[in-house]
Amino acid sequence: MDLEYWELLTGEAIEEEEIVYRDIWVVAEVKDGALTPISLEMVGKARELAAALGAYVQSVLLGEGLESLAQELIHRGANGVYLADDPRLVEYHLETYAEILSGLFQAKKPEIILFGATELGQDLAPRLAQRLGTGLISDCLDLSIDETERVLLATHPVYGGEYFHVSTFLGAKPQIATVRPGAFRLPFADEYGSGEMEKIAVNLEGIEGKVKVLSVSTGEAQPQVPLSKARVVVAGGRGLGDAEGFALVEELAEALGGQVAGSRGALDEGWIGQERQVGLSDVTVKPDLYIACGISGDVHHYFAMQEAKFVVAINKNPEAPIFKVADIGIVSDPKEIIPLLLSELRAG
Amino acid sequence: MRAIVPIKQILDPTGFTVHRRLERIFINREDYIINPNDKNALEETLRLKDAHGVEVIALSLGEPRVDDALREALAMGADQAFLLTDEAFAEADAAAAALILAKAIEKIGDYDLILTGQRAMDTGASQIGPRLAEYLGLPQVLEVREVSGLSNGKLRAKRNWKGGYAEVEVGLPVLLSIAPQANEARYPHGARIMNAYREWEISTWGLADLGLAEEELSPLIGLRRKAFPPERTFGELTTGAPGEAAKELAQLLREVGSWKLESGG
Repeated sequence: MDLEYWELLTGEAIEEEEIVYRDIWVVAEVKDGALTPISLEMVGKARELAAALGAYVQSVLLGEGLESLAQELIHRGANGVYLADDPRLVEYHLETYAEILSGLFQAKKPEIILFGATELGQDLAPRLAQRLGTGLISDCLDLSIDETERVLLATHPVYGGEYFHVSTFLGAKPQIATVRPGAFRLPFADEYGSGEMEKIAVNLEGIEGKVKVLSVSTGEAQPQVPLSKARVVVAGGRGLGDAEGFALVEELAEALGGQVAGSRGALDEGWIGQERQVGLSDVTVKPDLYIACGISGDVHHYFAMQEAKFVVAINKNPEAPIFKVADIGIVSDPKEIIPLLLSELRAG
Repeated sequence: MRAIVPIKQILDPTGFTVHRRLERIFINREDYIINPNDKNALEETLRLKDAHGVEVIALSLGEPRVDDALREALAMGADQAFLLTDEAFAEADAAAAALILAKAIEKIGDYDLILTGQRAMDTGASQIGPRLAEYLGLPQVLEVREVSGLSNGKLRAKRNWKGGYAEVEVGLPVLLSIAPQANEARYPHGARIMNAYREWEISTWGLADLGLAEEELSPLIGLRRKAFPPERTFGELTTGAPGEAAKELAQLLREVGSWKLESGG
């Protein structure tokens, strides 16, 4: 039945949609010459969403000499990769990246665009959403499709993860979301996967970065496994008293094959660097096991560790708020307990 | 020099409890606070006032009760405050809120700096700042942990970057989002709090004052439902002899999982 006949039958005028938004686009990130894990995690999730929509997964890469990375995106599930290959794009600048991406998205009209909830994604995604006149859902932990309405449903933490909102788009397109690193699994690589690669024209006339980077400090040594992904985290706080006390935390972490972390107090005392501070703004952890030693557990700490599956708290003060969120609480001096625990573990 | 600081009032998270099994939120005490991270933005701006004589204007969008948040900002040291309130603003999502704030910022005018918190604790979003910057055509520096210099129309700042930080330089006007670790917000003086209520006038702007039409504020994003993390079963508290406790814990760690064998890091 064609539309005209339907209009005749119902007496209603049917407007044909003028613009068709299609496909799921993943903005991939490159760090030290490699794709970041979040880029691949997003491709994996995009494949699932694409299956529900009957759509393709497209990805876009910015930088220089990107073919092998594009090939990897294809092996992980992208149907197409667009390459903005230009020496001016090796270093990230909001202005240049936003120019390339907004041009591309205005031309291609994606149905959904995914960014990592990384420093780059959080810099770019809201500006592009504003430029394209559309909505953005930040820091998503889950994504799915409402198939009856053909819209994206996005689960994102509110109040630091106390609970979640499942939000949706009310008609605006493209639907843009930033995705929390580690929220989705890495897709398997399929060496036989095939897809298209296309270079896009890079026209940056009159566009240049407005923020000049004077120096970059990597600062503290990075943990081998990012703390946010560690399965076991042993964290220490002021209750350990001194650096010697904190060394026990390091020993316990090693014995359990876990990572060392600390509270704001441990940071202030200089026992840890910022990259190991568990706090709302710093590192959010969701290990299988979290052991808090001498941490009283303020609200920032709580929000940052509440997704831990099993929490052990060791603290002298029975009133410490940490005990309210612990699965097991030991009211005792951690400096006394940890050495005993270590010898038990080693004996066992 | 003039700095504008949009602040958001949120429900105090210590006043409600989330019941995971019943999937309900119980509000024990309906108190409102300034989004903690926005206080860091205000504090950073007040430090620029102390060091460079920057004029500080606080701005907030919300119900009339947001007046309290602005009085607190004045008590902390802001020079002027504007309250953006209108029934038409009630449904504003991030895009609409950014539009309302941007119109107000344009109306205030003549600004050199806009400072926001990095993240709103209630929605978890960090998009108002960049949306404002895009609308106003400004450069942005997000996750600033320290403003390290301000002279000759240029600002230097250290921003969090890939586990460390980057020191950057940018021309004014610019929008900054301030990381929570940048500072500890000051407590206002008792006398200033009294003054904030007795003496200061807060200007109130609505839809018409900002030259907006209601249909420009239609939300793009809607809440479908709330979801709750799985219920946590809180275990027992051991207060017995340390030796016993350590033994029990070691036993338990072995039972709960052989992390040592599997994790490797």
